[in-house]
Amino acid sequence: MVKSLINQTAQYGVLFVFLLAGTSLFAGGPWTQPKGKGYFKLSEYWIVFDQHYTDTGIPDPNTTTGIFNTGIYGEYGIVDRWTVMANIPFFSRNYMNNIVSGTTGETLIPGEAINTFGDTDIGIKYGLNKPGSKWPMALSLTFGIPLGEPAGGTQDNLQTGDGEFNQIIAYDIGKSYKVGKKSSGYSTFNAGFNNRTNKFSDEIRIGLETGVGLIEQDLWLILRVADWQSLKNGSTGADITSTSIFANNTEFTSVTLEAAYYIKGGFGVSAAFGGAFRGEIVAAAPSYNVGIFYDLNR
Amino acid sequence: MYYGCSCSTNQIILYKYVLFGAIFGLGLSGCIGDDIIFDEVDPEIRIMNPVDSIALGSSYQFFNVYFNNVGQPQTVPVAWSSSDPDVISINDDGLAAALQNGSAIISVTYSGGSVPVQASVEVGVGENTVIIPTFRYGTVISTSSYLLEGDFELEDIGGGAIELRLASNYKASTSLPGLYIYLSNNPSTSVGALEIGAVTVFSGAHSYTLDGVGINDYAYVLYYCKPFNVKVGDGEIIN
Repeated sequence: MVKSLINQTAQYGVLFVFLLAGTSLFAGGPWTQPKGKGYFKLSEYWIVFDQHYTDTGIPDPNTTTGIFNTGIYGEYGIVDRWTVMANIPFFSRNYMNNIVSGTTGETLIPGEAINTFGDTDIGIKYGLNKPGSKWPMALSLTFGIPLGEPAGGTQDNLQTGDGEFNQIIAYDIGKSYKVGKKSSGYSTFNAGFNNRTNKFSDEIRIGLETGVGLIEQDLWLILRVADWQSLKNGSTGADITSTSIFANNTEFTSVTLEAAYYIKGGFGVSAAFGGAFRGEIVAAAPSYNVGIFYDLNR
Repeated sequence: MYYGCSCSTNQIILYKYVLFGAIFGLGLSGCIGDDIIFDEVDPEIRIMNPVDSIALGSSYQFFNVYFNNVGQPQTVPVAWSSSDPDVISINDDGLAAALQNGSAIISVTYSGGSVPVQASVEVGVGENTVIIPTFRYGTVISTSSYLLEGDFELEDIGGGAIELRLASNYKASTSLPGLYIYLSNNPSTSVGALEIGAVTVFSGAHSYTLDGVGINDYAYVLYYCKPFNVKVGDGEIIN
C-alpha cells in the first residue's frame, strides 16, 4: 500500500520552473515496483501566473502566462528492485495573454499559444536493499529528454521545454509505519543532483514527503516539501549574445498537498496543488494537478 | 467504519470516460486573455529643433511633434506664435523670421485636446543662428526588483546620428533572459519605442550609436525584458 502511494505521488513537477513546466521529480521514495507490477497515471498539470520571483527573491509582475500539460506517468517493475519510470507530457500548451492598452483599449502585443509535445523524463530506480526492509533505500537515474519546444511563437518566447538534456541521480530513503490502529503512514527523504547541459546551471534537489492512508488505505493525504538549489555555475544573460530567452539559475522551496483516492481496486483519482514560498527566477503562483491512476498492486 | 466506494463496473467505466474527458478538456482550456497596462502619459508637444538665436535678417524653420496620451506621435493642427512679432515673426507653418535685435518666446500650441498643450523656447536675434547644444542626460533606475542603475548622456554627433553613452556607474542584472534597451516616449511600454537592441554589457561604461535618430525624438531610456514583457527600469531624458 505504501509503495503504491509513494508511486502515485511521484510524477508531479511540484512547481512550474520559469516557463518550463512539466518537469517531473522522480522523487517518489525508495520503494520499487515488484516484478510485473506497475502504476500508471493520466494527469493534467497547470499553472497560470502573472508574477514571478526575481533574482532578489521578490515577486515582480509579468505577462500572464499559462502552462497546461496533459501527460502519462508510468512505473513498472522489470525485475524485483529494478523499476523503470517515464513521464510523458504528450500535450503541452504554453500561452501568454494579450497586452492591452488601458488608455486606448488597443491590443498592443497580441497573445500567443503553442501546443506541442513536452519535455519527457525516463528513468530507472534500483532498490538498494531487499523489499520489506525496515529502512528501504533506492538510487535512481533519470534522463530529461528535451522533446519540448524551447523557443516557440513569433517572439520565440513560448516554451514547452528548456532545450537541454538533464541527467538526475537521486538517493531515496524512507520508512512506513502504522498510524493508529487502522491507518498507515510513511515518510521519505530524497536528495538528488541534476547535471544540466547547454550552459544551464546544475542543481541540488532535496525533498521531504510524508503521507497518511485513511479509510482502509483508500484515501491518501500527502504533504511534500521540495527545495531546488542552483549551483549557479552556468551561463547568465551576460554570456548570451543572441536573442535567446535563456533563463537560468532557477531555484525555489515549495510545498505541495495532495489527495489520492482509490475508487475501486487499483483505479483511483488524485488532486494536488502546490507552490513556491521562496524562489528565484521562478513563477510565483500555485500549480495544480488532477489525474486518474491505475495501480497494479491492488 | 468503512467508507469505500462500492461502484458497479459500468459506473467505473463511465467515471473513467468522464475523467479522461475532463483531463483532456483541461489541457485545452488555457485560453489567451487580456492583460491591461496603464500606459497613459500626459500629452506633449515638442519643438524638435530649438535654437538659441537666429541671425538677423534670416529665417529658421521650426518643427514640432505632438505626442498623444500614450506617447505616440500624432499629426494635429497646431498654432505657432511669437511673444514679440516685431523681433521674430513666425507663420502657421513654423517658419520664423528674425526682424530686429532682441529676443522673443516662440511657442507652439495644440488646443484640440481636453487640455491645451504648449512648448516654448526663448530665441534671440543675433549675428548668427546658434543651435541649442545638442546634449541631454539622465539616470536610469530600476522599476523592478532587478538590479539596474546608472547615469547616461545623449549627444547629437552629427550626420543624423546620436550617441547614447552609459556611464561607468551603470549596472544591470544578468539574470533576466532577453534584456533589451529602448528609447521611448512612454515609460510604461516598449510598444512604439525604438528598439536599440539586446543588452550585452551589464556593467561599466559603454555606448550605442543610433543613426537616423534626433536628439529630441525620445523622452525616456527604457529597459525591458523583451520575451516576457517585463519592464525592468527607465530613465527620463533631461534637457
